[in-house]
Amino acid sequence: MSVVTDPARPAVVEAPGTPPARRRGSFGFNTVSTREKVVRYVLLMFVLLITIGPFLWQLSTSLKGSGEDIYTRIPRLLPAQPTFEHYGAVADTIPVWDYAKNSLVVAVLVVGGNVIGASLAGFALSRLQFRGRRLVLGLFLATLVLPGEVTIISQYVTVREFGLANTLFGVALPGMIGALNVLLMYNAFRSLPVEVDHAAIVDGANAWQRFVYIGLPSVRGTISVVAIFAFIGAWDDFLWPLIVLTDPDKYTLTVGLQYLSGTFSNNPRLIAAGTMIAFIPIVIVFATLQRFFFKGVEEGAVKG
Amino acid sequence: MRYQRWFTPWVLVIPALTWLLVFNLWPSVNTVILSFTNAKPLGGGTFVGLRNFETLLQDEQLRWALLNSVIYMVVCLPFLTVLPLLLAVLVEKKLPGITFFRTAFYTPVVASAVVVALIWQWILDDRGLVNGLAEKLGVISGPLPFLSDQWLLLFSAISLTIWKGLGYYMIIYLAALGNVGRDLHEAAAVDGAGPLRRFVHITVPGVRGTMILISILISVSALRVFSELFILTGGKGGPGGRDNSVVMLIQQYSQGFEGNLGYASALSIVLFFVTVVPMLILARLNRRGAEA
Amino acid sequence: MRRRRPAVVAVLAAAALTLAGCGLGSAEDPGSGATPTVDADAQVTGEVSFQTWALKPKFTTYVEGVIKAFEAKYPGTKVTWLDQPGDGYDKKVLSQASAGQLPDVTNLPPDFALSLAKQNMLLDVGAADPKINEEYVEGGVQAYQYQGMTGTFGYPWYLNTDVDYWNAEKFAAAGLDVKNPPKTFDELLAAAKVMHDKTGGREYLMSRLPGIGDFTNAGVKILSDDGTKFVFNTPEAAALLDKYRDAYKAGYLPRDILTQEYLGNSKLFTQSKVAWTTGGGNAIQDFVKDNPSLKGKIVPSPALDTPPLYVQGLSVSAKTKNQAAAIALARFVTNAENQAAFAKIVNIFPSTKASAGDPYFSKSDGTPESDAKVLAFESLSKAKVLQPPVISGATNDFIGQQISLAISGKISSQQALDAAVAKANQLLTQ
Repeated sequence: MSVVTDPARPAVVEAPGTPPARRRGSFGFNTVSTREKVVRYVLLMFVLLITIGPFLWQLSTSLKGSGEDIYTRIPRLLPAQPTFEHYGAVADTIPVWDYAKNSLVVAVLVVGGNVIGASLAGFALSRLQFRGRRLVLGLFLATLVLPGEVTIISQYVTVREFGLANTLFGVALPGMIGALNVLLMYNAFRSLPVEVDHAAIVDGANAWQRFVYIGLPSVRGTISVVAIFAFIGAWDDFLWPLIVLTDPDKYTLTVGLQYLSGTFSNNPRLIAAGTMIAFIPIVIVFATLQRFFFKGVEEGAVKG
Repeated sequence: MRYQRWFTPWVLVIPALTWLLVFNLWPSVNTVILSFTNAKPLGGGTFVGLRNFETLLQDEQLRWALLNSVIYMVVCLPFLTVLPLLLAVLVEKKLPGITFFRTAFYTPVVASAVVVALIWQWILDDRGLVNGLAEKLGVISGPLPFLSDQWLLLFSAISLTIWKGLGYYMIIYLAALGNVGRDLHEAAAVDGAGPLRRFVHITVPGVRGTMILISILISVSALRVFSELFILTGGKGGPGGRDNSVVMLIQQYSQGFEGNLGYASALSIVLFFVTVVPMLILARLNRRGAEA
Repeated sequence: MRRRRPAVVAVLAAAALTLAGCGLGSAEDPGSGATPTVDADAQVTGEVSFQTWALKPKFTTYVEGVIKAFEAKYPGTKVTWLDQPGDGYDKKVLSQASAGQLPDVTNLPPDFALSLAKQNMLLDVGAADPKINEEYVEGGVQAYQYQGMTGTFGYPWYLNTDVDYWNAEKFAAAGLDVKNPPKTFDELLAAAKVMHDKTGGREYLMSRLPGIGDFTNAGVKILSDDGTKFVFNTPEAAALLDKYRDAYKAGYLPRDILTQEYLGNSKLFTQSKVAWTTGGGNAIQDFVKDNPSLKGKIVPSPALDTPPLYVQGLSVSAKTKNQAAAIALARFVTNAENQAAFAKIVNIFPSTKASAGDPYFSKSDGTPESDAKVLAFESLSKAKVLQPPVISGATNDFIGQQISLAISGKISSQQALDAAVAKANQLLTQ
């Protein structure tokens, strides 16, 4: 069995001939000419226009007054009678804070489970040699294509047999280690040069030390991606928490927000306000974690 | 060469493996079993041999669904492998306000399906944004039936997938870009390499592993497309169900109290074999790259 | 590998048989559980759970009031109320049923109840309570009695039907008289043509694909008498589809409806894109709330041909540990007094015969909202369940797909109907 190498590494190491020695301070490369800046901002604005539409629409709908037509043929983006009353109404209608807290509990469990479980497995699969490694890796890859579409009821039966029906832990459980996240971590650990491991082994570092002191610091970017995916997946899920939870006090936000659209009533402005409330935490998580995308290699011990 | 005790890797892998077995593999084995039965959500579950698979062979809708899925994959793959990478390169540089742009580009991923449906129907409607603009510019004489023609509908759904996928794959690329040493870029820039050369010779090789993983993810999710087609066809798969995907069919058959879980499971198994093919090809590519 | 196949199949078969006994939430032993063991006069006491569908938070006060009254009437009872959100209710009930944890009293529409009753999961409340036929309207009770099964599997709770709503402004623009709207399908087609021609194709009247209900209305028989076969591929049904196809081709309907969901036409009506929709007696309030510019422009009229009847009911779980209290609760919630009070806070109609004389339902105060309510109430006496409860899920989808294929003109109406019937029969007998 050959030593696993990073597919990126050969190309990178052998790239245009120059050894990565000329470091002018990380700031040097970051300076951008005015012309490039203009081009970049034009492109950014263009993509912004395409991507942010639904978000603005939702925001605008949630702010429109009750007397305002929200289905005009030419949609109006700016509310004619802006108001925050729907946000108040959401809070009056359902216990938003309790539901948000429940969602947070589930999301934290899922994020924690994935960050820990996927990092451990990803590290072992990419940087340690053991019999059956390929088989295990194959299993994780296979899950991506395994037919999971008709399994929701049998998953419920499993969770119930663990005695976890109608608990927030039961909601979090199946998603606590996702195969995709394991693969993402595997891929991230792989892009670390093997030489680093060899050096550490020569220094007498055991597997755990290599994981904590070399592996983890260099994959922070991917860990935050895993955290974001896990958070959003847990936060946005509707059907699964609905099935697992029976007691309305335990509902997560997505399930609880359903109460805004009842059998006999349907106020799109209220629903939009509800979705905006559910959306804000995602923005916060994303904005916080995205800083880490760039703190990969250059900060870690890899250079040593 | 091993530098750890034999059980160390297993200790690290066991938690993830347990989850995999309990929550992915076991239900899938269950699906295989169900495909030989006439199971319904309540009761049923008598062994019916290969009957479900015989029905599959004559299912005209399945043929359309498979064709649609393959078209979907072929179109999505190049766009979603390349565009998010370009986007990631664009937002990688720490310009003022970049956090805002990064977050904004990610919003389509988290926007709720209801809103996405509303917006896209408004854009693609006979009297919608695209048709309105095109008619004003005189490009077309009558509105294009984006939402009622079998093929235009499929391509509308594909553009919706690409739109939604941009931000998702962008952040995977962003994390990978963080691992490509900046020194290399610097060095290349000093050597006089332009942005395009640097992209082709440094960025792309630097994220090659990620690119292959992303291609796998794209092919798999394109073959298993569901929500976009569901949204644009109102869940009905278009006239004659010719805009179905395999997952849409599975959903249609398994829904409700009288859902035909047996047949839906047989469909899942077809889907499994269909998705395995591109994955094996890409995984092979990956390995060849790794051993080169 | 190949040689071993039979063994594999045998193992799978064995596994499948075991699975049928456990993994999926198995059926009760046939014959047990479905018939009540106590009669309605037994001592009512103890705990009982009650599940409603999407009544929180708007009707929390009402439901809590009813529960309190029940607990006061039967001292020693304690009701646990669960309200489930509107979306995903079928999956919620399914998972409850497959886990054997159906609440004692559950709000189930007739098609849900049918599937549960087939698995002996519901109590035959008719056997426990012979007065059910006297006190509730016939259509309501019949909705919970099924072909090939004996018994009544739910108390009808509330009823609704559809009336027509017309956009007066668009009628005026096309020179049509909104005071005299179409009364039959053919008049509707004619009006659609006028609207199209007079406005140069800019305005639409119709925006709905036909469905099983329209076939029933055109006199087509949907199911064979014994309920074992679909038979709606008749020339009459084909003729109806042909009319729709020609109207679609001529541009009387918006093209995008081929892919819109069922509620498409009321949404388009709310958006002022079409001039006609059907909807319940309360729909008018939603139209105006979502689009205030429609205020004063909506005129209701009775549904074309036979109005559809929609029924909701309360069923009692066969597994309930407290049959007496469960039956008493279902009966109490659906009694004339409680239903009338409910109907006054939301536009539904009571399923009790005693409510028929209530002037609240039969006299309009002159507003379009009140007119719509009275129209709907009057229609109830003629209303029929137009779509048999056996049609649901995949069958419904498949029929809809074939219908839209026929209307797009890709295949003939008869071919589409034949294909739909073949598939529906296959799904029925699976």
